[in-house]
Amino acid sequence: MDAGGHAAAPTLPDVLPEPKQRGRVMGFVHRHPTIVLGGSVVALMVLIAIFAPFLATVDPTALAPAKRTRPPSELYWFGTDMLGRDVYSRVLYGSRVSLTVGFSVALCASVIGTTIGLIAGFTRWVDAVVMRVMDGLMSIPAILLAIALMALTRASMKNVIIAITVAEFPRVCRLVRGVVLSLREQPYVEAAIASGTRVPVIIWKHILPNTLAPLMVQATFICASAMIAEATLSFLGAGTPPIIPSWGNIMAEGRALWQVKPYIVFFPAIFLCITVLAVNMLGDGLRDALDPRLAKRL
Amino acid sequence: MRRRDFLRTTTGAASLLAAPRIGRAADSKVLRFVPQANLANLDPIWTTQYVVRNGSLLIWDTLFGVNDKLESQPQMVEAYEVTPDFKTWTFRLRPGLKFHDNEPVLAKDAVASINRWMPRDPTMGVPIKRQLDALDVVDDRTFRFRLKVSYPKLLFALGKSSTPVLFVMPERIAATDPFKQISDYVGSGPMRFKKDEWVPGSGAVFERFAGYEPRAEKANWLSGGKRMNFDRIEWKILPEAATAAGALQNGEVDWVETPYTDLVPMLKKSSGVVVDIADPLGNIGVFRVNHLYPPFNDVRARRAVQIALSQSDYMRAVVGDDEALWKELPGFFTPGTPLYTEQGGDYLKGPRKYDEAKKLLAEAGYKNEPIILLVATDVAITKAQGDVTADLLGKIGMNVQYTALDWGTVGQRRASKEPPDKGGWHIFHTWSAGADCANPAPYTGLDASGPTAWFGWPKSDEVQAKIAEWYAAPDLAAEKVIIGQLNQAAMDFVVYIPTGFFKAYQAWRSNLSGVVKAPFPVFWDVSKA
Amino acid sequence: MLAYFLRRVLATIPVVLMVALFVFSLLYIAPGDPAAIIAGDQASPEDVERIRASLGLDRPFVVRFAEWLWQVIHGDLGTSIFTNLSVAHMISQRIEPTVSLMALTLILSLSIAIPMGVIAAWKHGTLIDRVVMMVAVFGYSTPVFVVGYLLAYVFALQLDWLPVQGFTSITEGVVPFLRNLILPSVALGLIYMALIARITRATMLDVLSQDYVRTAKAKGVEQKGILFVHALKNAAVPIVTVVGIGFATLIGGAVVTESVFAIPGLGRLTVDAILRRDYPVIQGVVLLFSFTYVLVNLAVDLLYTVFDPRIRY
Repeated sequence: MDAGGHAAAPTLPDVLPEPKQRGRVMGFVHRHPTIVLGGSVVALMVLIAIFAPFLATVDPTALAPAKRTRPPSELYWFGTDMLGRDVYSRVLYGSRVSLTVGFSVALCASVIGTTIGLIAGFTRWVDAVVMRVMDGLMSIPAILLAIALMALTRASMKNVIIAITVAEFPRVCRLVRGVVLSLREQPYVEAAIASGTRVPVIIWKHILPNTLAPLMVQATFICASAMIAEATLSFLGAGTPPIIPSWGNIMAEGRALWQVKPYIVFFPAIFLCITVLAVNMLGDGLRDALDPRLAKRL
Repeated sequence: MRRRDFLRTTTGAASLLAAPRIGRAADSKVLRFVPQANLANLDPIWTTQYVVRNGSLLIWDTLFGVNDKLESQPQMVEAYEVTPDFKTWTFRLRPGLKFHDNEPVLAKDAVASINRWMPRDPTMGVPIKRQLDALDVVDDRTFRFRLKVSYPKLLFALGKSSTPVLFVMPERIAATDPFKQISDYVGSGPMRFKKDEWVPGSGAVFERFAGYEPRAEKANWLSGGKRMNFDRIEWKILPEAATAAGALQNGEVDWVETPYTDLVPMLKKSSGVVVDIADPLGNIGVFRVNHLYPPFNDVRARRAVQIALSQSDYMRAVVGDDEALWKELPGFFTPGTPLYTEQGGDYLKGPRKYDEAKKLLAEAGYKNEPIILLVATDVAITKAQGDVTADLLGKIGMNVQYTALDWGTVGQRRASKEPPDKGGWHIFHTWSAGADCANPAPYTGLDASGPTAWFGWPKSDEVQAKIAEWYAAPDLAAEKVIIGQLNQAAMDFVVYIPTGFFKAYQAWRSNLSGVVKAPFPVFWDVSKA
Repeated sequence: MLAYFLRRVLATIPVVLMVALFVFSLLYIAPGDPAAIIAGDQASPEDVERIRASLGLDRPFVVRFAEWLWQVIHGDLGTSIFTNLSVAHMISQRIEPTVSLMALTLILSLSIAIPMGVIAAWKHGTLIDRVVMMVAVFGYSTPVFVVGYLLAYVFALQLDWLPVQGFTSITEGVVPFLRNLILPSVALGLIYMALIARITRATMLDVLSQDYVRTAKAKGVEQKGILFVHALKNAAVPIVTVVGIGFATLIGGAVVTESVFAIPGLGRLTVDAILRRDYPVIQGVVLLFSFTYVLVNLAVDLLYTVFDPRIRY
């Protein structure tokens, strides 16, 4: 049963004959093009982030005011910014920050949200309190919450990750709690409780496996959302410290010049868009592959 | 305002469809101006921010006003007398001066305004107050200063353009404690402040005051007749530099005070836009250190930064590639003015000495403590300087803690005398108008009186002695000698480090005439075709 | 029906209180002495003491919170530290542009995205479907300010059709109002459009594959139009849900859009206040936004009963 109360009808692929098998790998690619495409682009970005020191041409923080705002050339593949720093190297290093923020937030939000969601799902009184707090947190627009938290502390990558995590984990919490609540009613879970199985075992054997799929999908969307949030925070002046190159920072610093020297904003924007797109596609693909019925809920 | 505009725009709505250009530009009695920063408050005595002073120039009038040669001319004063010993000064106000509530401007209002201004002006107001025997109202339009010592530069103090400017406010408003903000903006100047239309962060509106009587002479900076050709001046706060430039190109605004330097070539090519140097007296970039706490309480640490600092790096970062816009400044005084000197400025010249700097730091006992560098990232000039400083300090082996803040918060935090790790600071950046650095009189940044000095609180008896000598100098030749020695003393002591001399542009629509070069936007005698 | 309505309303009260608590605590979580922060730049030590006394920092937190809440309910949101104007006044000056922007964005997004989703569902599996989905994914993969600058460049500067910045109230004419707000609404609405298009398509697909619909189609029932209307009605619930939840994203996006297009709205006011630590303003605006969000979701919940009588809590 899904949220609308409709019985899940068999979808067309169930009724039609199986497509020809084309070999395992190609078959996988054919059936899940979005996972492959999204996944490979993300993997590429991760590789770029890891090997940035080798792929970069110069130190990304090295100032050279005498060579400021040069257009892309053989020496400076993406040009230089208003302090003479090489945009190409900064964009490469920027992938580290953006990806770190994205993955960290996704991971932390998932872990924290799952933990709280599990506890809330199993303990009545905790549930009542926690859900009110979660509702409250979700009522404050994520960006405002993140900026407010950033304003309380010093700008650093760690604080940005914490601020965005706080804004994102309530959704995970809701999700996991929802799964727990619905699964608790299942006959086999009731039987397990009745036969004396301890709660942690129940969680491990019955609850968690069922949360994994929606959790993974949700995590990819949180990752994408966190990367955009970091860029927005940098744009507003409340993000990672300007010394650290991040895609958001590079765009924020170059935005006054975008009419005359568009390459400073253009290149990090392209990288950010492609990465976020890839992560979103990965999420879509995972969702379609793991449980087509989730398509309605998410 | 709403109804007027409603009628105007609904009748013009049909034509708007045919002509994409904004029809409002045709209103020649309204000036739309983009100021250098947000107008967060409007008390020119309480704050030293230039943007507040610029707005206040419209609202309030001054007793005297400097012209483009920095000579103080009578403005609200009709006539004055001074005794040969420069100790007693008597001033008579012009007749017919009115406040915006139509009350006459009287001597008691002038006296109250002077009393509010003196404690907040460290270079001239405070010394005057200290030496003041009496400041009395003689009759409705006359008041008198009686000083204990000779003070020949009183007229300059009353008419200078450096902040805080001595504006004449009604007595009841001037009675407000100078350390608290006023909230009533009834003024004595050519324009009224429309408080009901003020949207802080977005815009402010000034309306012509019909009761203002300008002087007969032609206006020149703050002197002469302030004749307004506009009924309304709208200040539009556009924090995004690209948006401001775009708005000027499109004719949505008429005048941008500080266009982003890299956008100037594009603006110069735009038809309908004029770009020119805003002020030939330019600006001096300022690198302030905190003299109260280690490491910069030791002159060797300050020297280390001074000999490693590359002014060309700073200037290029601040104003870009146009070499005509900046010059290196091995001195504290404005190039192109009579007292300019490079005496003692060799530290800032020649190849930079990173190794020697590292040695000096070690001698000064620097042990890699984090250096709190305050950077206002929302103002292009301070952000550029901050970024170059972070790089510089790294080069000489210092541990930089780059603290990104907004200009308003920097303004708050720089006032803190707490230790840097408890809410204080080590370094911040700003800039001073060249007009304010032409001689020691308005030069707040050069004052080295210690606890009462400007932020950073440098304390050097030698520098103070030289400043006192300059005040007592009999003629220009003697002044020059003393200024040379003063420059040397200030360089040796490292009161602060000038990061260079630079000029800025201003840009306006070509249908605007009468825009002049000055350290502040001059709105009188400007008209729109 | 009334009972349901009342229950939903009562359920929002603890949420609003939670938000109020968080917003109130902000000043005290922040590092530094709250009294010094409020006293500001040039305050003397006596001023700080005076303000500390008026804040009553020695009294229990709960008492202070209750008092503040009492003031807020009576419309007194305090005074801005930076401008000395009343927070309520500052909000009232800037609320119209933000409300206008959001309303136009909502209308625009719904009018474009729902048809997009319907067409994609109708032409499921074809190129059109894929294109629509690709555009949608692009929509929420690009930061709002990048889209904003692009639109401004093309339509305002290059083509000279629209202004670069500013806001004109609708009372001054519909055409100037629209000219100022079209670009910001499109930039802001892209994310919304993407979400709504996708959820419309997904729900439509789900409904269209239901047994009874396939039976009707198989029987050759010609009223494709009626089928679609029926499907759309079922899609209404998820769409409305997304609109409700996405409203928070809209507020976040509005902040950036107002910066790029210099719209004098609440978004920019909030950001400036947060960066300047103007706590009374921060408290007032965040409270307002959250309260609005809660109201919007309440409206969504109530709309459910209109669209789907089976939904009861």
